[in-house]
This record gives sequence, C-alpha cells and structure tokens, in this order.
Amino acid sequence: MSDASLSGRELIAEHGRTRDGLMPAEMGYRSITDEVAGAVFARPTRLWMALVGVSFLGVVLLFVSIWVLLAEGVGVWGINSDVVWGYAVANYVWWIGIGNAGTLISSMLLLTRQKWRASINRYAEAMTLFAASIAGLFPLLHVGRPWLVHFMTPYPNTMDLWPQWRSPLVWDMFAIACYILFSLLFWYTGLIPDLATLRDRAKTRFVKVAYGLFALGWTGSSRQWRAFDAYYYAMAALGVPLVISIHSVVGLDYAATLMPGWQETIFPPYFVVGAMFSGFAMVVTLTIPIRWGLGLEAIITRNHLDAMAKIMLFGGLVMTFSYSFEWFNAWYTGNEVDRAHVVAQFTGQYWWLYWLMLACNGAVPQLFWFRLCRRNLVIIFIAGVLINLGMWLERILINMNTLSHGFLPSTDSTYVPTFWDWSLFLGSFGLFCFLFFLFAKVIPTASIHEIRELAHKEGAAR
Amino acid sequence: MSAGDASHAAPRYRPREAVIGETAGPMPMEDGELLQVAREGFDRRSVLKFLGLSAAMPLAACSAPHEEIVPYVEMPEGLVAGEPQYFATAFDLNGIATGLLAESHEGRPTKIEGNPDHPNSLGSTDAFHQAMVLSLYDPGRASLVRRAGEFSTYDAFLQAIVARRAEWSQTSGEGLALLVGESGSPTMERLLQGLQRDYPKMRLAVFEPISRENQRQGVKAAFGKPGRVHLMPAEAGAFVCLDHDILGPGPEQVRLSRGVVDRRRVRAGSTTMAPLLVAEPVLTATGGTADERLACRRSRIAALASAIATRLGVPGSESSGDLTARETRFSDTAAMALREAGGRALLTVGEAQPPEVHALAHRINAHLGSLGRTVSILPPRRSESKLEALDELTAAMADGSVTDLFVLGVNPVYSAPADIAFEDALQKVPFTAHLSLYEDETSEKCLWHVPQLHPLEEWSDARTATGLASIVQPLVSPLYEGHSPLSLLAALGGQVNRSAHDIVLANWRERFETGGAGGETAAGTGGPTGGPGRGGAGDFETFWRTVLARGTIEGTGTETGRAPALTARSAAPTSPDEPDTGSFEAVFLPDPAVWDGRFSNNAWLQELPRPITKEVWGNAAAINPADVAALGIADGALVSITVAGSNGDASRPVLIPVIAVPGVARGTIGLTLGYGRRFGSVARGIGADVGPLRTTDALWMRAVEVSVTGASVELALTQHTHQMHGREIVKEMPLSALAGQARDLATETDVPPTLFPDFPRGPYEWAMVIDQTACINCSACVVACQAENNVPVVGPAEIRRGRDMHWLRIDTYYTGEDEAVSTASQPVPCMHCEKAPCEPMCPVGAAIHDSEGLNVQVYNRCIGTRDCQANCPYKVRRFNFFAYANGQEFADLGDPMVHAVHNPDVTVRARGVMEKCTYCVQRISGARREAIRKDGTIAEGEVVTACQQACPTQAISFGNLSEAGSSVNALRREPHHYALLEELGTRPRTTYLAKVTNRIGEDREGG
Repeated sequence: MSDASLSGRELIAEHGRTRDGLMPAEMGYRSITDEVAGAVFARPTRLWMALVGVSFLGVVLLFVSIWVLLAEGVGVWGINSDVVWGYAVANYVWWIGIGNAGTLISSMLLLTRQKWRASINRYAEAMTLFAASIAGLFPLLHVGRPWLVHFMTPYPNTMDLWPQWRSPLVWDMFAIACYILFSLLFWYTGLIPDLATLRDRAKTRFVKVAYGLFALGWTGSSRQWRAFDAYYYAMAALGVPLVISIHSVVGLDYAATLMPGWQETIFPPYFVVGAMFSGFAMVVTLTIPIRWGLGLEAIITRNHLDAMAKIMLFGGLVMTFSYSFEWFNAWYTGNEVDRAHVVAQFTGQYWWLYWLMLACNGAVPQLFWFRLCRRNLVIIFIAGVLINLGMWLERILINMNTLSHGFLPSTDSTYVPTFWDWSLFLGSFGLFCFLFFLFAKVIPTASIHEIRELAHKEGAAR
Repeated sequence: MSAGDASHAAPRYRPREAVIGETAGPMPMEDGELLQVAREGFDRRSVLKFLGLSAAMPLAACSAPHEEIVPYVEMPEGLVAGEPQYFATAFDLNGIATGLLAESHEGRPTKIEGNPDHPNSLGSTDAFHQAMVLSLYDPGRASLVRRAGEFSTYDAFLQAIVARRAEWSQTSGEGLALLVGESGSPTMERLLQGLQRDYPKMRLAVFEPISRENQRQGVKAAFGKPGRVHLMPAEAGAFVCLDHDILGPGPEQVRLSRGVVDRRRVRAGSTTMAPLLVAEPVLTATGGTADERLACRRSRIAALASAIATRLGVPGSESSGDLTARETRFSDTAAMALREAGGRALLTVGEAQPPEVHALAHRINAHLGSLGRTVSILPPRRSESKLEALDELTAAMADGSVTDLFVLGVNPVYSAPADIAFEDALQKVPFTAHLSLYEDETSEKCLWHVPQLHPLEEWSDARTATGLASIVQPLVSPLYEGHSPLSLLAALGGQVNRSAHDIVLANWRERFETGGAGGETAAGTGGPTGGPGRGGAGDFETFWRTVLARGTIEGTGTETGRAPALTARSAAPTSPDEPDTGSFEAVFLPDPAVWDGRFSNNAWLQELPRPITKEVWGNAAAINPADVAALGIADGALVSITVAGSNGDASRPVLIPVIAVPGVARGTIGLTLGYGRRFGSVARGIGADVGPLRTTDALWMRAVEVSVTGASVELALTQHTHQMHGREIVKEMPLSALAGQARDLATETDVPPTLFPDFPRGPYEWAMVIDQTACINCSACVVACQAENNVPVVGPAEIRRGRDMHWLRIDTYYTGEDEAVSTASQPVPCMHCEKAPCEPMCPVGAAIHDSEGLNVQVYNRCIGTRDCQANCPYKVRRFNFFAYANGQEFADLGDPMVHAVHNPDVTVRARGVMEKCTYCVQRISGARREAIRKDGTIAEGEVVTACQQACPTQAISFGNLSEAGSSVNALRREPHHYALLEELGTRPRTTYLAKVTNRIGEDREGG
C-alpha cells in the first residue's frame, strides 16, 4: 500500500500496465478508491461550473419549449396532416436507443464476463437512465392532449374502459415503463457498495447522512456480498431480454403498420442493433471527455475504447446490411409503392439527409477496421459524434420519408421543422448534460467496487 | 329531412323596421361612439360610461324586436325542440335564382340544401350556396351606416333622401342615377319601373363584372332581336363546348351539370354516353371531365367554330385560316359527334367569346336542328330595355350630369374595367350612396354607406332564367344592422316606411289579384298562364303560404323549347392569325370560389381548394409547364404582367405568382377575378387583382407581356402531386368495357385475407359509392361537409404547413399527355374500412368500429397520438394541431356570432383531437330516431349524407349494404366498381366507380 498517494497516471509510469492494458500493473484498492471518490469530493472546478451553467440554459430552453407546447398545442411543431409524426417520435426513438447501451454494457457484458466493462458501466448506466427518462418524456409531449395520457394505462374507472391492447403504443408504454424502472433499480443496486464507500469517506455530517441513507446500511460483509452478487447477476440476466424487448417494441410501433418503409419484419432486430450502435457511440462520445475531465485515464484506457470501437464497427455493418435489405426487399417484392419509397429515400426532398445518414452510419464505422483509428481519441470521438448524428437522421427519416410519400400521391407532403422542434430537441440534450454533470459530481462515475474486484483478479492489487 | 317540412314555412321573425325619428334600440350610446372610443382609447369618463353600458347591455340585448315575435312558451306549430326546420328560400346570382331549403335550428340557420322542387336546384346546391350561412354570421359584414366615413344612422340617411327627393320631383329625376347589379327580383324590377315612371330622366345602369353581354349580342346578331340563351343539356346527346365551362361555377351550375352528367351516366351494359368535347385555353373542371379536350388559345376558338361549321356544312360558313393538326382533329371529331347527335346536339360557346362566335353557334345548332331542343332563346326580361351600361353612366358622372348616385349591391370601384374611370367620376358626384353587404372599395369612395341585409335576413324574390319566381324568405331577424335594397328603392320613391316584407307581399298580392303574376315575357303582355291566382283558390293567404312552402310560384315561368328564326346573314367571326408565340395571351376567368370577388370574405370559400390546382387563399396565374420552364421559373414565382405594347403608360403591372398547370394552352396565362381586395376582414390583401389588365374592349382576353421579377411566394396548396405515378388510383376505362354484365358479388373470391375476425353483420351496414364519371370537381360536397360537420377553417399559413382540415377532399390527378391532358377527380372521404388500419393503432380505443360498420372516432377518448393517421393509407384523418374551432380560430372566425353557424348535432372538436368523416353519423341517428318513432326500419334514401345531398350531379350514393335492393349494392355489382387501394385488404366501405370515357375519335380510328 505504499503507493497510496500516487495517482493512476503516476502508477502507470512507475509500474506499467496489466497484461490486457486495462489498468496499472500495480494499483492498490486504496488508489482506486482515491482515484474515483476523489473526483466526487474535490472542489467543483470552474470548468464544471461553466458546463453545468451552459447545460442549465438547455434545461431552461426545454421547459420554455414545453410551456409553449402545452399553451399552444402541438401545432407549434412542423408536423402536418400527412406527416403526423415528427421530431418528438424521432427523438423518442433516438434517446431510447442511446439508453440501450448502458444496460447492454452492464448486463450483457457482465454475463459474458467482459472484464473491461467494470470501469465504464457506471456512467453508461447513468447515461441509460437519463436517456430513457428523457425518451419517456417525448411520447407524453407528442400526444395532442398530454393531460389525458393516463387513458393508456389499465386503471379502474367507472366506464370500464381499458387500453386498446392491440396497439403497439400500449406495448411500448409498458416496455418503456419497465425499462426505466429496471434501469433505475439496476443502477442503484450497483451503486450501493460505492455509496457506502462515500459514506465512510465523507468529511461532513450532512454528506455522511445523505450517502448513508442511500447506502442502506451496507457494511461489505461476506453475507452482503453474497446476496449482492446473486441479486445483481439475476438483475443482469433480467436486463438482457428487457434491452432486446424495449427496442423491438419500438420497432413494432412501425412494423405493425401497413405503411411503405415501415411494414418490415426486419424492424425489431434492426432497431435493437441500431440502438446498441447509437448507444455505444454515445458512450464513446461521453467517455473521452469524462476520462480527461475527471482524470480517469488509468481506469478507462484506450483498450476500453478499442473494444467499444469494435462493437460500433459491428453495429455499422449490421445497419448497412439492414438498409440494403430494405432496398432488396422493395425490389424483390415488386411492390410499386415500396419501390417508390426507396426511390424517394434516395431522390426525394430529403435525399441529402439520407445520403448523409448512409455516410455516418455505414461509411464512418468502417474506420474501425484499423487499429490505428480504434486507438486514436480524436478519430473515435468524431466518429462517435457522427454516428450519433447518423442515427438521429435515421430516426427522423423513418418518420419523414414514409409519411411524406404514402400510398396516394395526392397526400405527398414535406415536413419542415420549426424553431420549437429544434428547441425541444436541444433542450432535451441540455437536460441530459445537466443531469450527467450533476451525476459526475455526486456519484462515483466508475464503479469502485467492481474496479477493485478487477484489480484483485488482474493481480494489480495485492 | 324532406322538403315537406317546409310546409311550416310561415315567417316567425320579421326584419326590424326602421322608424324615422326613433332610435333603433335602447342603446345608451350611438354605435358610432362606442367604436370610436374603442379606436381612440379610453379616458376616465368613458370607462364609467362603459361600466354603465355593460350593466345595461343584457337588458338591451333582451329587448323585443318591434314586430310581433312568438315566444317558445307557445311553440310554433309543427316545431319539435331539437329538430331542425326547413324553410324554402332562393339565392340570386347574376339575376338567376336557385331555390334552396335553409335548415334552421330554433331560429338559427345552419345549413343550406337544395329545393328538390326547384328546376335550378333539383335538390342539389353548389359551393356558393353551401357557404351562404357563413356569410350570414360573418362579423366582417357591414353593420353601420356611415356618412363620409363617420358613423351615422339610417334615419339620417333617409332624411337626406327626403331632402333630395324634393329636387328630383321637380326635375323629373335629372341628375339621379341608379347603378345595380343583375337582379332577377320581380319586385325590384317593379320598383325600378316605378322609379322610372316617377323620374323619367333618371339614369338606370346595370353592371356585373361577369356579365352575359357577349351572349346577348350574339343572340341579337343571329336572330335580329334581343333574347337570352337557355341551355337544356338534359335533352342533348352530344356536347361540344368551345371555351365554355358548362360544368363550372355560375348561376346555373347545378342545373347544367346535372343535365350534362345525366346524359353521361353509365352503368353495366350501357352503350351510349353523350360525348363531351371541350376546347378551352385554361384547364377547367369541364375540360378535365371531357372525353376529348383541346387546349387552344381563346383567340383561336373562332377559327375552330368556323371549321366545325364548315365540316357540318352550315350555310354561309366559310373555312377560316389554317388549323393546326390538333385543331383539325378536334374539329373533325366535334363535327362527327354533332352530326351523329343531330337534333340532340349541343354546341355551346363561352361568354368570353365575341358575339359573332355566339351567333355562329346558334347557326350550327339551327343547322343541326337542335335549336329549340337543346338550346332555347328566351325573350329578354322586361327590365333589360332602358338600361345603361357602366361606361355610359361613368361618362355622365364625369361630365357632371349626375348629381345623385345610388349604387346597390355592386362594387364597381373594385371590379369596373380598368378603362372606366369610375372611381374618379365618383368624386364628381355630390351625393353618392352605396348599399352593400360589406364595406368595400366603393363604400369608401361614396358619401353614404348603408349596410345591406344578407339574403337569409331579408324578404325578397328572385327568378330563374325562365322566369319561375321564388320568394326569398328571411330565416332570422337581422344579426347586424342592415337594410334591403327594396326598402331603399321604395324610399327613393317616397315610401320611407316600407319594410321589404310589405313591399314583396304587396307586389305579389297585386299580381295575384290582377292575375299578372306570370310574366317572363316582353314588357306589357300578361303571363302565359294568366298568373298564379287564376284557376286556384281565390284566397291570397293560401296562395302565399303555398308559395312560401313550395319555394316556387307556379305559373310564373315561361315555356322553353322555342327559338325565333335566324336572320338571313350575320357577320362571320373573324379570327386573328396565329398570334405570335412570343407574347402571352391573358385570359380572365371567374374564380370557382369567390366568383367576381363578392364571396371573398367567406373563409369557407377562400379555403376551398380550387378544382384543378388545389390552390386556396389566392389566385395564382395558370401557365403551361413548358412556358413556366421557358420563363425559367417555378411555381410561386412572382411575375409582372403588363398590357402588351403599353410602354409603361397608365396601366399598372399586375404582380401575381404563377402555377404550372398542364393543359393550359401554350402562351396562355389564366387569371381569375375576385382577388387583391383592399377591404374585408378575411379577404383583405389576399391574392392579386387582375383588374388593371381588364378593359371594356378586352374583358376576357388580351395580349400581355410577362416579365419575371425574381421574387416568389409560397402558394397555399392542399395537393402537391398531381401525378398518379403509374398507380391505379383513379381507374379509367372506355365505354366499351361496360358492355359486360354486372358482377355477382357472392361469387367473388378476391377478398384479401385478414387475421382479424369479421364484425358481425347487423341490419344496417352503411356504405358509399362515388361515381367518378359523374364527379365534376365542383367541390360543393367539400363545403357541404364543412357546414354540416363544423369543420374549422385554418387559414393560409396553416395550409402552407399542410394542415388542411377538410374531412372530404377531392384529389385531382392529371392524366394523358400534356396537350391533351385530362383530369381524374376523386372525392376522398373516410373509407370506413371493415379492416380499418387506424383502429388497432389507437392505444386508447378512440378509433373503433360500431355495430353498423362505421369507423367512428370518440373525441372524448382521443388523446391525440396521431397513430391512426400515421397508419391510414388514405390519410383522411384530420388533427386539431391548434384549437382551430375553440380558442385559436383563424381571423375573426372566433367571434361569438360565428359560433352560431355550428350544427348543434355535431361536436365542435377541441385542440389535440383527431377527427374525420363520420358518414354524417348525426344524420344516421336522426333517421334512426325517426324510424323508431314510426316503429320501422331505416329505408333506402332516408339517410342522405351532406356531401351526397349537395352533389349537383348525384355522383355520391349512400345506403345500406344489408338491404339487398339498396342502390349501393347495385352499384357494387357494376363492372367498373372498385375499391381504392383494394390490395391492402382494408375492405373499404367507400368505393368508387371508375371514370368512364367515350373517346369517339379514338374508337373510330381504332375501329
């Protein structure tokens, strides 16, 4: 424990890394705790204050947008009689997609014993929780009369009215509700040992009590660890089907219709992979500033990014395959409306958005065939941002292309977003950042106990 | 729901009489003062005054009108609270009446239907009639008497007249002039005759922006004496329309289009169908419907008519200059069609053509033997002699020989031809008064403005072209201050106290008693049947009640089917040589929605998609796509149009956006009238006024120069793509395809599969069949639906964002190649699919199926996810993006008065709710209540949807599929019956009959 005072960066300089490069070769439990918890207890930096301030402006924008929306009606958006779904639905699908990655990392990687997940799962889960909650906001705002959304839930009422169970929207509501609840519980469960650590390290009474309340009396006894592990793994096992179901159901919102470009059996898996793809891109986009801002380079290493880049490459390949499958299907079925839909995608009024989307989702990930690119922070970061953009374009284009070119040419129309479309999207982004910055300051951004476990297994800590 | 209800048509409200020297009501302040203060702001004193006023207001509002009213405690006989009543009335457009039934809910008119007993209606209506009720409640209507722009009273106006009258009596009317629109009112005609007797030197001028002057002159040229053309398409076997929009808007649209379509309605086994051949400069609904259409410049029509005459061997016809190959082919086909129809042929010429072409048309019809069978020449109206034209009157005004001018109902400052300086001449007249429904351009320039009453508020009478008279009954006591032209004319004659009711009644009493109620013949002679009083019961009261209930006055019409002999020779039409293709020829057309501008403050009509372009809230210039491309511009580009060769003199350029319309003749630019108004709470500033290009010698066409400005505007369109992209959306088939037998539905096996169980069949399974051969794209159904179902107006900005609210839209597709383009129009209401894609999408069960097969929308349950519309392949659902109907209405449509137009049987939808066509479920419910009362079932024809009822051509059939003998079942067995997007398996209840064409030219060539 002689290195307790050294930071991760210094440790790497002194001892080199473990064999798989995930952490310094010699890193005591205490160093890990110092490294992570230090960020929580350190005084807020100017940069952090500035970022919180800027993102708070976004929150204000979000609330102003919601106020205007509720006061005026959904007519403030660019939706029209034919393109009845606009940014609200697209943003919902996009945010839910982002919200998928955290759970994938946490549960699927946990179950498949991918040890590199340990240092990124915490904020990936936080990202999931925030993204899913924001996603949950959009359907509420999307509807014309949000004050009546409880009609969608099966509550006892004098009219004996139930939701209409054949509607994919009802399935969707249950899927989101389950997913948000699950994400919250799973994230919180993983936090408990770390909250106890923070409680034990807290210097003031108030902070001690605050963390202590949420730590639920965790002492780190073997009994507790046994129960924790059993419960945590069980939750993880639950999470995998949930993460598949959530985005499959979102895909069904479209696939259950008969509209050209929507009615495709490939939609559920295609949506799940798309979600994973955009989720990982978002994790990467967040990881790079976080490890730099919080000085976690020792724990979150280039090897982590390398692994995530490989997943993005996989995602990009599946997306490209899905797109080409759509084109092939339209040709193969010989359905003139489907064919016209594909032609409209490439040449219609949104053609440049479609080409841009193909570039972002199909071409950009091809960079990750090269190890050089997978390990270059700048390239990964830019690619992550582009993939997020591409996936967002895909979500809006799914709505716009199908609804702008339907079965009857007389109903062709064009969707033009308004200021309030953009403001709600930017505002939701502001809220996401705001929550994330608060999280980074209050809760350990990496899982202390899991990194300790990793250190133990890697033989870094002795 | 039948005309029989009209038998209770006794007037329950009578218009208020104005009594000189007495204020109209217990208002503590003059109306003028109120508004003036409202404009200029409040000081402390006026605030206190208004406090007092607001306390007194409820009392004032409850005061009884001057005339007898009957409280509901003693209910009028025959009235059931909650059940609408129907009153027969009539609507006059350009002097020709259409008989109507107005639906009234507890004294509140909400809907107009056609009067089945009236020959100009036959139970149907056009879009103008349907929109009438909105104008009634229009808060933008004139409601104040003004003197020199300041608020005044009608009493003051009458006093001014009384003062002037003394002078007129002495000078026998020297300097007095009246300017009126074309009116068919016999009572008005009588009053005018009385005035002419009292003031022999009085000038009486008539002005209509859309007149029938060329037609009149044509009759004179052909027959040597005046007369009026009366078309009888119902008798015809072939139609050749030269620049004549016979199916288009106009005072007789309903009768003419019913006649034409009746001759073209085809069913299984039909082998005949009257061919319709149209040559026209701009694609109109008639041209789009035609079997054979030639796009040709307006100036080429004369040559075409000569060519047809030559081919038919009309005596004296001479072959005019060279025809193009297309023109030759068209005249060959037209001549063949006419020759085959022989005495049942009908060749018509539009008003825009010069008199010689009209005369030639009469000669052609006479040669074929159809003159007198398919077209009659009626004697002129008594009033038509001794009339001045606007230019003569204006000249008199300008040289100071007019001292007093009364302008009744027309708006010449806006609509006079550009070369008539009416506005300037008006300044030279010391005493000018204008009576009109709206304060408009002319009101502004006149000393006095007097608000006119709406036809649903005043007593009057009207006539059809054949002279069949109807009484115009008020349905409601005046909503705003207003006065009848009849009582104003009476006041000019010295009778200041007479209400329109008394005048009309007295006129008909006199005619009844003297037996002169008939009389659509030349001046002086008695009526052909001796008048309504003879032969019937001698009691005038009975006669009057019968007349009001039936809506027509029997014995007033003249006989049709006659025509005088042709004169030996009349000038042959001269046609200019092929105009040089560099310059454009502007042609002027009435607007299908605002006519000459008189309906421009009606938001329903403004938002009515124009038949071909689907433009609303504006009047873009129609140009051939090739010309648009040659100019290097796109739809919406503003062009500047000037008179050719004017070298920038007096005529100012017209700035107008263009819209590419295939089928417009090359080099033609189609301009519609009625836009660019400076007045009107709704109309102001919309569209472009093409008036500056229109002069007396070029009323309908002129050579113009078009220059591109570089600026552009976004047109408000409800349909952006007019191509079917090769899909079979509107099926078209030749007449020969109908030769086969009717289908047997029971053996048809091509019903698409479904996973969902069928709904159990009940005693009522509603269905609609729309005959696309009969649809003439007139859009009466669209306004009828809007009026019946409280469909809100959204305004141009919302339309540009694609938020049209019409439950029923008419999709128009261009078919055929550019020069011979035709249109296929498809009314699209909700399909009421048996396997409705919207229903499974709704998370709350707001879109559900009812026991009678309707796909219904439960507004209370709807939370507005819009999933239903997202999954509707027909996109017929409409979403309230804003509170269009309650709180966020367009312009002044949120005024409490306008809410009175709502049909009380239909919910007004809230913001955030999806709505759509219900098959007029309220009418089905009404019929069911009626049936239960009779202890029977709803029989065929007892449910009539609003669109079906309005349709002039009866293209829409509605009925019960469970009833084996129902019309919809019969139509569903037709060989040309099909369902839209049948392959999706939605099993629509609304289905179509394919558009059948009878292309005689092609068939012959092929055979």
